[in-house]
Amino acid sequence: MEFATFADRAAAIEAEPADLEIVARVSDLLSDANSDLEVVARFVQGRVFPAWDSTTLDIGPSTCYEAIARAAGPNVGGDDVEERLAEVGEIGAVAAAYDFGGQRGLGAFTGGGGGDESGENGNGGDLTVNEVAETLADLAATEGSGSQDRKVDLLFGLFNRCSSEEARYLARLVLSEMRIGVGEGTVRDAIGEAFDVPTDRVQRALQVSNNYGQVARVARDEGIDGLDAMDLEVGRPVQAMLAQAGTVTEALEEWDEAAVEWKYDGARIQLHHRVDGDGESETSVFSRNMEDVTAALPEVVEYAARTLEESAILDGEVVAIDADGSPLPFQEVLKRFRRKHDVAKAREDVTVRPVFFDCLHADGDDLLAEPLTARHDRLESLLAADSDSEPDPDPADVEGLSLLWLTDDPEEIEAIDADALESGHEGIMLKDPDSTYSPGRRGKHWRKRKPDVETLDCIVTGAEWGEGRRATFLGTFELSVRAGDAGDDLETVGKVATGITDEKLEALTELLEPHIAAEDGQTVDLEPAVVFEVGYEEIQTSPTYSSGYALRFPRFQGVRSDKEPADANSLERVERLRDRQ
Amino acid sequence: MFKAIVSAETLTSALDSVSVLVDECKIHLEEDGLEIRAVDPANVGMVDLSLDASAFESYDADGGLIGVDLSRLEDIAGMAESGQLIQLELDEETRKLHIQIEGLEYTLALIDPDSIRQEPDIPDLDLPAEVILEGKDVNRSVKAADMVSDHIALGVDEGEEFFYVDAEGDTDDVHLELTQGDLIDLQVGPAHSLFSLDYLKDMNKAIPSDTEVTLHLGEEFPVKIYFGFAEGQGQVTYMLAPRIQSD
Repeated sequence: MEFATFADRAAAIEAEPADLEIVARVSDLLSDANSDLEVVARFVQGRVFPAWDSTTLDIGPSTCYEAIARAAGPNVGGDDVEERLAEVGEIGAVAAAYDFGGQRGLGAFTGGGGGDESGENGNGGDLTVNEVAETLADLAATEGSGSQDRKVDLLFGLFNRCSSEEARYLARLVLSEMRIGVGEGTVRDAIGEAFDVPTDRVQRALQVSNNYGQVARVARDEGIDGLDAMDLEVGRPVQAMLAQAGTVTEALEEWDEAAVEWKYDGARIQLHHRVDGDGESETSVFSRNMEDVTAALPEVVEYAARTLEESAILDGEVVAIDADGSPLPFQEVLKRFRRKHDVAKAREDVTVRPVFFDCLHADGDDLLAEPLTARHDRLESLLAADSDSEPDPDPADVEGLSLLWLTDDPEEIEAIDADALESGHEGIMLKDPDSTYSPGRRGKHWRKRKPDVETLDCIVTGAEWGEGRRATFLGTFELSVRAGDAGDDLETVGKVATGITDEKLEALTELLEPHIAAEDGQTVDLEPAVVFEVGYEEIQTSPTYSSGYALRFPRFQGVRSDKEPADANSLERVERLRDRQ
Repeated sequence: MFKAIVSAETLTSALDSVSVLVDECKIHLEEDGLEIRAVDPANVGMVDLSLDASAFESYDADGGLIGVDLSRLEDIAGMAESGQLIQLELDEETRKLHIQIEGLEYTLALIDPDSIRQEPDIPDLDLPAEVILEGKDVNRSVKAADMVSDHIALGVDEGEEFFYVDAEGDTDDVHLELTQGDLIDLQVGPAHSLFSLDYLKDMNKAIPSDTEVTLHLGEEFPVKIYFGFAEGQGQVTYMLAPRIQSD
């Protein structure tokens, strides 16, 4: 397909406001793409390379401006292009406004002329979609000293052959600013329409391959059977399944049981581990954006080498840990994640460890269509295979396995949440135990417990002495808010016991002990003196507490040392927040 | 079969004159010397180089073809000190080039020639004007034009019989005239064409200031730039396509 044809079609698509019409136009474009189908299916989305491929053009905007300037004519500089861009606001329009092709090619002067393919200016004639793709691939492969100049040369060569409309879309493509209203869903639907295959089959093929070009070609050349035969491939990343925010209440209403997992404060990874016939293995690690981060995370590669005996694709997180194995904040993971140089030194400063919670593929079996619980079982047996000391080890002892609890009991969920927080993690994930793995989808099957939107500043009016290891600590703090006309009455709204580490309990005990008014066994009454900031999932009416309300899933956020009891929130505010729910 | 010994200066001059246009090239290992032809990705600038067998201390080849990464080879040649000799030997089995500079041995992996851009057809041009001048005058012309513009016009005034260089910038202009007396030789003919300095500056880098350079020019035609190196046993011809003049 000529690039001019592609540019005309892209312009028509861009001008089309109706979604269905856009799909129809993209479908026509794909139908007419012939041998360039794979490239066209990517270009129309503004992609130069397949989604799974982490190759990039690696050029800055200024390189592109420079190339446009050179093609635009004598005494146009990159600065001029940038200036126009500031006025016009869009690189496609800037490129389209120049008159290209002034630089002639030597082809115009070879042979006797007539009937050659080099066009009147001798610079190669009409650009094809494939030539653009090949030149951009050459450009991406250019590296080393002087490579930026060579990239400008290559891009200049393309722009010099562009009409105004071609230049518009070439510039946008190069700078990843296609923006003609064609998203992934549009291309999916258009593939279905163009080659008469059901959209859900296209969707599945896209999910396992992450390659729009290939799926379009297979749909056209091999139909449904071809699409259905497409599988995950170890070494080729797929998009990660994503979670939406949710609450315990919603989860238990919708599902009979919830699968509960800890939510790690780490960076998402996808591990691809291939074991070949003679036991040699190869491991790749990809980020959530499918970037290859293998080199930055040697611990993960080492983990895979010593743990996995079969080929597998695993979904998980890497967390940074300190010398004692306690998790470090997310920022510490990031320090490691994108590091390209001096990995060994970075590793000395921050150690990471992988935790896996899902298994997409194991030993030749694609597991996307299996329910979560079955995938987790498979994950557990994969990771436990190495623990040869015991035939059936306790899951909690399996290195790198994220535990999964099935429960319909809110109290148990709360306890899991408390453990997660106490171990220094972010909280919990709630998952539908029967759900399949849908790459790239942010759906209701996976929920991360909603961060507390509102918090209340409550007065601590009571507590309980702990037991066992915590016998010398106060815990299970009774919370009250101000009530009455003068605001000096106190009414209880709940108790908070979760989200507090031993260290914090010790500090809180020190803070509260001087205010003990009365003790009865383990129960302690406290003078109103200390204010806690408390998060919660929802406010319910309740006979249990004197205010008539109860905080559901209350979580300790911190001590408001800047606030006196007189500054704490009032019952009126509790009622107002409840009304807004 | 290919085995040759050459001075570092000669090899470096040859490589530099090609690397200003391309990163990779094919080298023909002919019986009577080396041949390189290459064109830039936009098909605007071209180089045609030959280095005769007589330019080498010793030379033995039977018509093979190799593909090389020029900057890699230049780096290796750069390891040699002035006056040192470089020995090149092709290992047909491994398709690698063994390079020896005194005690230093380097084994260079070659590139599959088929993966390198096709060699250009050399335009057969009959250009009416011929200007022969010293390399330093070419250097000076390019430098002067580059101060004000990114393009340079080269032409011959048929009436007054001089060669001229024009460069028009946004604000400043440069004009340079070289008469018969300033030049080594001039054959007058209709000639005026505009060229991109992006290319000409690069080509100019390879032109030694103390060499005799021949320019062939026409009206809105490519310029052909010819010069010798290695005491005339190496020849470089550049060809550069013009830019259409808008006014």
